[in-house]
Amino acid sequence: MITSDEQVRAFVGAHDRLHVRGMGSKPALHQVDAPILDMSALRGIVEYQPQEFTLTVRAGTPLREVVAALAEQGQYLPFDPLLPESASIGGTVASNLSGSRRHRFGGVRDFVLGAAIVDGTAQGYTVGGKVVKNAAGFDLTKFLVGSLGNYAILTELTFKVFPDVPRFRSLRFTYATLAEALEASYDINRSRFELDALDILPGADGAVLQARLGGFSETLPARVQRFSDFVTTTTAPQHVEVIKDELSIWDCVGDLDGACLAKVTLAPRQLLALDAAIDGAKRRYTLAGNIGFVACEDASWLGDVLARLGLRGLLLRGQARSPLLGAPLENVLAARVKATLDPLGKLV
Amino acid sequence: MNRSFVDALGGIYPGNRLLTRDVELLPYESDALTAFQTKPGAVVLPENDAEIIATVRLCHEHSVPFVARGSGTSLSGGSLPIADGLTIALNRLNRIKVIDPQQRIAIVEPGVVNLHISQAAQPYGLYYAPDPSSQSICTIGGNIAFNSGGAHCLKYGMTSNHVLGMKVVLADGSLTEFGSESLDGCGIGPDLIGLFVGSEGLFGIALELTLRLLPLPELYRTVLAAFDDLGQAGDAVSQVVASGLLPGAIEIMDRLAIRAAETVGANYPDAEALLIVELEGEAPQVEAEFAQLRELIERSGAFEIRSAQSEDERARIWKGRKSAFSAVGRLSPDYIVQDGVVPRSRLGEALQQIDAMKRRYGLEVANVFHAGDGNLHPLILFDGREDGALHKAEALAGEILAMCVKLGGSITGEHGVGVEKRDYMPAMFSEAELDVMLALRKAIDPREIANRGKMFPGGEAPALTMQGMHPLERQGVISRE
Ligand SMILES: Cc1cc2nc3c(=O)[nH]c(=O)nc-3n(C[C@H](O)[C@H](O)[C@H](O)COP(=O)(O)OP(=O)(O)OC[C@H]3O[C@@H](n4cnc5c(N)ncnc54)[C@H](O)[C@@H]3O)c2cc1C
Repeated sequence: MITSDEQVRAFVGAHDRLHVRGMGSKPALHQVDAPILDMSALRGIVEYQPQEFTLTVRAGTPLREVVAALAEQGQYLPFDPLLPESASIGGTVASNLSGSRRHRFGGVRDFVLGAAIVDGTAQGYTVGGKVVKNAAGFDLTKFLVGSLGNYAILTELTFKVFPDVPRFRSLRFTYATLAEALEASYDINRSRFELDALDILPGADGAVLQARLGGFSETLPARVQRFSDFVTTTTAPQHVEVIKDELSIWDCVGDLDGACLAKVTLAPRQLLALDAAIDGAKRRYTLAGNIGFVACEDASWLGDVLARLGLRGLLLRGQARSPLLGAPLENVLAARVKATLDPLGKLV
Repeated sequence: MNRSFVDALGGIYPGNRLLTRDVELLPYESDALTAFQTKPGAVVLPENDAEIIATVRLCHEHSVPFVARGSGTSLSGGSLPIADGLTIALNRLNRIKVIDPQQRIAIVEPGVVNLHISQAAQPYGLYYAPDPSSQSICTIGGNIAFNSGGAHCLKYGMTSNHVLGMKVVLADGSLTEFGSESLDGCGIGPDLIGLFVGSEGLFGIALELTLRLLPLPELYRTVLAAFDDLGQAGDAVSQVVASGLLPGAIEIMDRLAIRAAETVGANYPDAEALLIVELEGEAPQVEAEFAQLRELIERSGAFEIRSAQSEDERARIWKGRKSAFSAVGRLSPDYIVQDGVVPRSRLGEALQQIDAMKRRYGLEVANVFHAGDGNLHPLILFDGREDGALHKAEALAGEILAMCVKLGGSITGEHGVGVEKRDYMPAMFSEAELDVMLALRKAIDPREIANRGKMFPGGEAPALTMQGMHPLERQGVISRE
């Protein structure tokens, strides 16, 4: 059982190839034929200073614990980690996965401040800082967001956290077509309404825009009314609904069952083409149509579709040779970082 | 400078865009850290990507070091030329190629002035959030290199948080693109944007940037509170933060900074410390937050509180703060700005220590800082005509940085390491970490030609000279207000 950075270093030193795994909540990321470095026992909150808006945790810590500790102080991780019930914080950062609330302030990259890492040469060191602002040196911490454990192993992470708001209200607007819903999302996304989340849900006939507002209880009802009026007059939805049990509708991958599940990064302009190509698959778009989650039966089919559209996806669940779907990711800058941090190519 | 290299440059640039005569080079001798001056071998003024790429490849071939230069407002010597090296001045690459209000993005060339992006986006109700005080002159390329911030980055982050995609030429001439037009940026795979932003020009030159735009806040509510005691102002910040409010900006100025601001007609109350807190967002929410904020500040011991009721009044509150640096320049012939960061809860302690240090050195220090994120900007006043004054000021600046690191902070929050702070890197980073950064630099730029002598300790020291105005300011090309 790995419970310290030294053990991580020893593990790297003792192996020619290895693969890092947190809590394994995204099985498609771990279909690798290499010894597994299991990070799930390297856990615990190292330092939490609510006053500083900073939190330092070991990488294997379950999100559940992190989220609960923050909630106790009225704070949260604004990047809204995906799979909060089953994932570890390190795995979330390494795979760059956020839920719908990422809409308000940004993604994982916007809230990581520093990390302790072990690189492919078994060296351990810290990168970045522990204060909310720091411009010294190269920002390797950000680089490692989304790096899938292929460049270095995250053992500890420091985040910027924010105060959370006490109350939420959610609304659903129904449109006759997805194109109309997308148009409406453009109008909403550049309006002055500060939404906590804005998802697009394509349906059998038409599409739904699902929006969430958060704030003080006293002002929320009036804000919801104002927002609803704005959307109704500017975008003419067929139907408007205020959702009562609103929490349950924000698990953005909860309903996406199927053998495969993937995240897709897209520009909203590409949404209609993508959606037409994956018609039949279960899908949902978060971040006003800038991120897609797609469930389907065959990952290689999805990979082909994405490649054809010049898009990239990350397979979270399902069988595939590589979890990286679609357009190739090779990049000369990334290759040079790899040659520096993991010259022997141990981390797979 | 090597003749054959200059001849080859002549193949890329017409004579009026290849500067080699002393008088032409003069305006490029330093950036806004005027203590350092170096004459470059030549300056080129590219007008498109192809010229930049050809130039970088030529530099690589001839092993000639180069410095990319935006507006030269770096406060850390980041755009200081390299003796006998090439300065690549990017101001002519100033096209805003795309403002896409639907996707809320802008695609721009690196020489675009920060403020011009917000101006172009304004008709669509959008703006580019990072707002360094130098925003009316500094370029987006310089912002990228330093991950520049501003008064409003507590809530919405620094430059890095607003870059979605980039096209760059690495120092060895290879071209690469990363990120996308998605608000998810790199999204899948390592965050190359995060790595490039803040690399201080040591990896190569950014040719094109895709930036995230934000909707203009519906309402701002700005409060100015005057205190008899700097510590009280600091405590007020802690209370604001503890209350769960998330202001767009929290700024503090001390007595000397306030006095300086008077020289630009700020019309601030006569106080030991001023606190500026700004809320922004949806009107009903901001009004409710504002009521809470006022109550908090009224209980914090402030002897005078002003709230801006109009855009005019808001501008007035910010005017003194935004021009504090140049205003200090009116109080003293010369000054050094520092940029250390401390954990917010240790701000009071840091200020006390700075106070003790300045007494020990017999120097005046004006403090202006982004209190919300613990980013100090002590301005150390001195007179460069006095023997040894500059060195004394630098020694004090060094002590302040050492203190910041000791308190668990950073040597720079937004101005970058550049030439100025490179010797403090070992105080902040372990040997292993520095080695990795250096190895990374060499992997990306094997000949170490991109901005050679910056960021890493131990580079050849440029000549230290007297301070004074920025050469472009002296020529009336730029100004700071
Ligand atoms: C009065 C005043 C107030 C200031 N206030 C602030 C503030 O509030 N916040 C803040 O963060 N900074 C502030 N600064 C510092 C400065 O304005 C910023 O660092 C700014 O980003 C520099 O932009 P520039 O165009 O002048 O860049 P330059 O000084 O020309 O260059 C800065 C660095 O960027 C590199 N560079 C330039 N273009 C590129 C490119 N295309 N690709 C790669 N590298 C490139 C250069 O090589 C150099 O290392 C202030 C400066 C002054 C003089």
